[in-house]
Amino acid sequence: MSDGHYSDGKYTGDEPRDQFPAAAEDSIVGAPGEAIIADEVSPFHALKDDDDIDVVAERKKMRSERRRLLWRSPGFLIGLFIVFLWILCGLLPDLIAPWGENEVVRLADGSTIPRQGPSGNAYFGTDGIGNDVYSRIIYGARPVLVVAPLAAALSVAGGTILGLVMGYYRGWVDEVLSRIVEAFLSIPVILLALMVIVVFGATNPIIIMTIAILFTPVVTRTIRSVVIAEAQLDYVTSAKLRGERGLFIMVREILPNVSAVLIVEFTVRVGYAIFTIATLAFFGLTAGDATAADWGKDIATNYRLIQSDQWWPSIFPALAIGSLVIGINLIADSLDKVAKA
Amino acid sequence: MDWKRLDAARGSVGPVELDLIEHYAQGKVSRRDFVRRGTIIGLSMPFMGAIIAACGSDDDTGSSGTSGGGGDTQPPSTQGDGGGGGGGTGPTGGTLVVGIQQGDAASGLDPVNMLDLGTYNVLSQSFEYLVGLGDDGNIAATALAESWSPNESGDVWTFNLRPGAIWSDGSPVTSADVAATMDRLSLQGNAGLSGVIGEGSTDSSDPAVAVITLLEANGNFPVLVSLFNAQSLITPADYTDGTTLDQRPEGSGAWVLDDWDATTNVAKFSRNPNWWGGQTPLDSIELRGFADISTAVTAMQSRDIDVIQQFPVIGGEGLLNDGNFVVLSPPSANHRQVWFNTQQGQFTDPLVRQALAWTLDRPQMVDTLWSGRAEIGNDHPVLSSLPFYDPDAVPQRVRDIEQAKALLAEAGVEGISTQCDTGDIQEVPQLAAIIQQNAAEAGFDIGVATQSNSTFYGAAWCPGASATDPTLPCDGSAEFGIVDYGHRPTPDVYFGSALATGGVWNSSNYANPDFDAQLSNYRTSVDVDGQKAAVGEIQKILWNDVPACYPYFYNYLSGHDNSVSGVQATALGHTILSAATKG
Amino acid sequence: MLRFAVRRALLAIITLLILVAIIFMLTRVFPSDPARQLAGPFAPQERVDAIAAANGFNDPLTTQFGRLLKSVVTFDYGDSFSSPGESVISLVVPALKKSAQLVFFALFLTLPIAIIGGIIAARKKDTLLDRLIVTLGLASASIPEFVSGVLLQYILGVRLGWFPAISNVPDNAGILTTLDYLVLPALSILIVYFGYIARITRAGTIAALEADYTRTAFMKGLTTSQVMRKHVLRNSLQPTVAVTGTQIGYLFGGLVGLEIVFNYPGLGRLTFTAATKQDFPLLTACVITVAIIFMITTLLADLIIAWMNPRARLNLGE
Repeated sequence: MSDGHYSDGKYTGDEPRDQFPAAAEDSIVGAPGEAIIADEVSPFHALKDDDDIDVVAERKKMRSERRRLLWRSPGFLIGLFIVFLWILCGLLPDLIAPWGENEVVRLADGSTIPRQGPSGNAYFGTDGIGNDVYSRIIYGARPVLVVAPLAAALSVAGGTILGLVMGYYRGWVDEVLSRIVEAFLSIPVILLALMVIVVFGATNPIIIMTIAILFTPVVTRTIRSVVIAEAQLDYVTSAKLRGERGLFIMVREILPNVSAVLIVEFTVRVGYAIFTIATLAFFGLTAGDATAADWGKDIATNYRLIQSDQWWPSIFPALAIGSLVIGINLIADSLDKVAKA
Repeated sequence: MDWKRLDAARGSVGPVELDLIEHYAQGKVSRRDFVRRGTIIGLSMPFMGAIIAACGSDDDTGSSGTSGGGGDTQPPSTQGDGGGGGGGTGPTGGTLVVGIQQGDAASGLDPVNMLDLGTYNVLSQSFEYLVGLGDDGNIAATALAESWSPNESGDVWTFNLRPGAIWSDGSPVTSADVAATMDRLSLQGNAGLSGVIGEGSTDSSDPAVAVITLLEANGNFPVLVSLFNAQSLITPADYTDGTTLDQRPEGSGAWVLDDWDATTNVAKFSRNPNWWGGQTPLDSIELRGFADISTAVTAMQSRDIDVIQQFPVIGGEGLLNDGNFVVLSPPSANHRQVWFNTQQGQFTDPLVRQALAWTLDRPQMVDTLWSGRAEIGNDHPVLSSLPFYDPDAVPQRVRDIEQAKALLAEAGVEGISTQCDTGDIQEVPQLAAIIQQNAAEAGFDIGVATQSNSTFYGAAWCPGASATDPTLPCDGSAEFGIVDYGHRPTPDVYFGSALATGGVWNSSNYANPDFDAQLSNYRTSVDVDGQKAAVGEIQKILWNDVPACYPYFYNYLSGHDNSVSGVQATALGHTILSAATKG
Repeated sequence: MLRFAVRRALLAIITLLILVAIIFMLTRVFPSDPARQLAGPFAPQERVDAIAAANGFNDPLTTQFGRLLKSVVTFDYGDSFSSPGESVISLVVPALKKSAQLVFFALFLTLPIAIIGGIIAARKKDTLLDRLIVTLGLASASIPEFVSGVLLQYILGVRLGWFPAISNVPDNAGILTTLDYLVLPALSILIVYFGYIARITRAGTIAALEADYTRTAFMKGLTTSQVMRKHVLRNSLQPTVAVTGTQIGYLFGGLVGLEIVFNYPGLGRLTFTAATKQDFPLLTACVITVAIIFMITTLLADLIIAWMNPRARLNLGE
């Protein structure tokens, strides 16, 4: 796996039989949004010093050490702050937003001000029909923060199960599943998502499931490579000698030791899910009420106004997406760095 | 008043024409309406000019006629020269690029089955209609029919075909071609002609004259075989259903299709040297499809294209403020129909439908969505500029929340939770958003569901006729939704297809015998009084019953760079380029 | 090396088979009636039935799947649904050419800038410059490409008029004219990919700089530039090559939004059109074409890596 191979410039870890060197770079198939962190998500780092016999005790110590490092990392704190702000908006939009998500801005005399630039009446201006862009961005945090993490969590869950099975058992199971994983990886996610959602219609469960399924192969690959490395360590061998069943070893022995990778993988997926949802919205494939605030949808509805010099209803939501993706990436970045330290 | 000339004119025409002349002579219809109506029933321009001259030029009620030829003798000059701008000047050469809709119909360049403005535009470059477009934006004898006239009762129409019109293989365009086309349209259930003509309606015994017998009298029939019934392009007699222009690029029109790219809807044409209208000034034209209308606006702003088929106000303000851009705004009855399913769902009670209609803030819609470039509607599809519009039939609905609440209470309904289905086209989703906000105050909780236009038509608008119940032409259509209607010079299609019992586009599943009776009265009236009386009743019925809200009629916007001239546009997507020049 | 390449190619074929199966299942469960779609909503039922029969929509699924496999092998997908009389391949090939032009021009712009940026960031690790490059890359990559595309289009294309705002390259355009039309979409791609490629290069370079062989080289007394050339770059660029190989596949098919914004008739827009028009043969052909490109470019990237690094060759099965 190239993650492992390249991360420190030489080929470690995996064995030659493994045939997707290039493909392993996470992001590969897909929008660059996800790619950002991929280069530094290198599961093997976490394991560098794990040759110790007393792995468990050593790791416990390491974990508390890592937590301490984390809270002193500025990137982590900034990322957390950004994400926290958006979560706050998602929880209490009514308290924060001056207008409703579907409520045109009315001046004191009752008149409306559609397509007006940022001003005291509307901090971020008004959109095509006169809604407050600022308020809609605040209301738009909730759907993003529900759909994206759910899709990411499902893909990480699916990827973990597959990755554990493939990485632990290897053999023909691994061969067959690897081919399927690679088949999925060979088409841009957005094309597949487009197809699936055109087929089944755009509802929230469909969108969440689609993104989850399409992300699963990528996650699978990462987890698989970590599990392969873990499975060669002494604690697994000794568990096997003890006569533990495969399921027990996978769930109770290996899984806790790859949790750091899971967390990083989850944050990466959340960022990318946001990107994918926004892109789908651009093609008109969104779920729920068409007028509900949604960053991707608002960009798609209003980007055409840029050519009339009305940039605010599309650029501000784009910045909102950007800030959330950056916030999540900063967290993921710091988690990864600390895991390596 | 020149009685002698008038009497001479009276003596030379049939009763349908005579009725109109009497009305004009007595001052009951304006000059503009006289010309408009006269054109429809086939009076020639010189003849109408003579009548107008005979009646004197004191009449000025129709002041907004577009070509203001100082007074008496010259109504819009549409007769004869057929748009062939050639005349004395001869070709100037060059090519022109028109940005058009990419279209989302899967039927390709099939004249009978096409549904989108982009395809209308492409096909109408090579094929021609029986009845064409005049300089004033109404119909005129500028296409394959050189002249036409009705019989006394208005149920048989005779079209004299243009001599010299030939297909690209050199054979003449004959009445057999017209007959075959009419049969195909009739079989296909063409929205404009279904219920108007049947199979075998056209007598083609004289190859130069097509005599069409209608199922019942219709005073507006020429409109239904004009470019305002976009699918009614005349195709060769041996054209079969499903044949497309790119398979058989054999039209009779000004341009010959050289190349067409199906996926991007880019169509390249060159001049038809054998066109009956003469040599086009331009050598060639290219119609270029745009998947997104706003991309076409960008292309127009940066002059990657010379002409833009259509653009919206939202996102098109850059063009409207562009000093080097010429805006074309052809007469337009384009509108959005906010339909209610009157037989299924929560809007079966007219009181509930009325209540919603009272909540609409129409001025807000017109200002916000169209920057004032639209006319406020009053819940019927009759434009106020039509000669038979009755201004006194019903009062204009103005937003009244108390009234809406009272109506809901009377209906015994406490708040309604529903969904508004729309296609993703132009300002429609935003209109839905305004309706959602407007109606919320009266207790309507409306969700908005937007789908791609092609999906929307099949899934929400008209999923298909009920096999058992003929009053359900759109069985299972959404209980509440918004659909787009293109321009027609008369509301026949709006009435007959969208509101009449069993109409093919009747997503309201509206079935009202009174309405049907008045529609029949309107259709069979070949006189102005009869049409006006029937339309007045229709306005009342629709206003009270509200099978659909008609919030506004918007101005269709098209245009071109100011180096281009001679382009004619219709509000149904045509850009007529046979007389266009560039540079 | 040859054995490795053959093995990779064989595996790619198996993957392709699975992919065809996935696509087949997807298009077969389309809820709509393809024959009705083809005939138009108001066509009589007889014509719909005739179309269904002519296209074999009523055949058993195994027969239909067999036909699809044959199409993939022979590159003959029959006629498109949405443009009757046009063979699918005659639609795909021009779009493929268009996509190739845009993708390679964009990479030509992006790769040098991003690689140099990445190396500089790595050499100046943890300085302000490093942070700037990394953060800038992160920020630019987190804005959807169609938004940056529209901004560039409006500012550089419409307002300033420096480049054509719409990328409809005229027929018979020379290479310079063509590139002129492609500048804005290519710049949009640059904005999105700069950060990604730069960060990959940076990570690879840092790893190479810290590696034992680099330390050894320095200890042997080689100058910095000698070390960079002979030891670091060869190793540090491997991840960049790998990622570029895979991203080319993405660029061929994934730029749907950008191609719509610039009205560029590439493979992404063709696929989107095929999906919305439910043109199954065209849709299948597009997706499989993208997948084949992906497989070829990743294979090439692996071969280049193997050539760059003998140890990789060892590991990869020689």
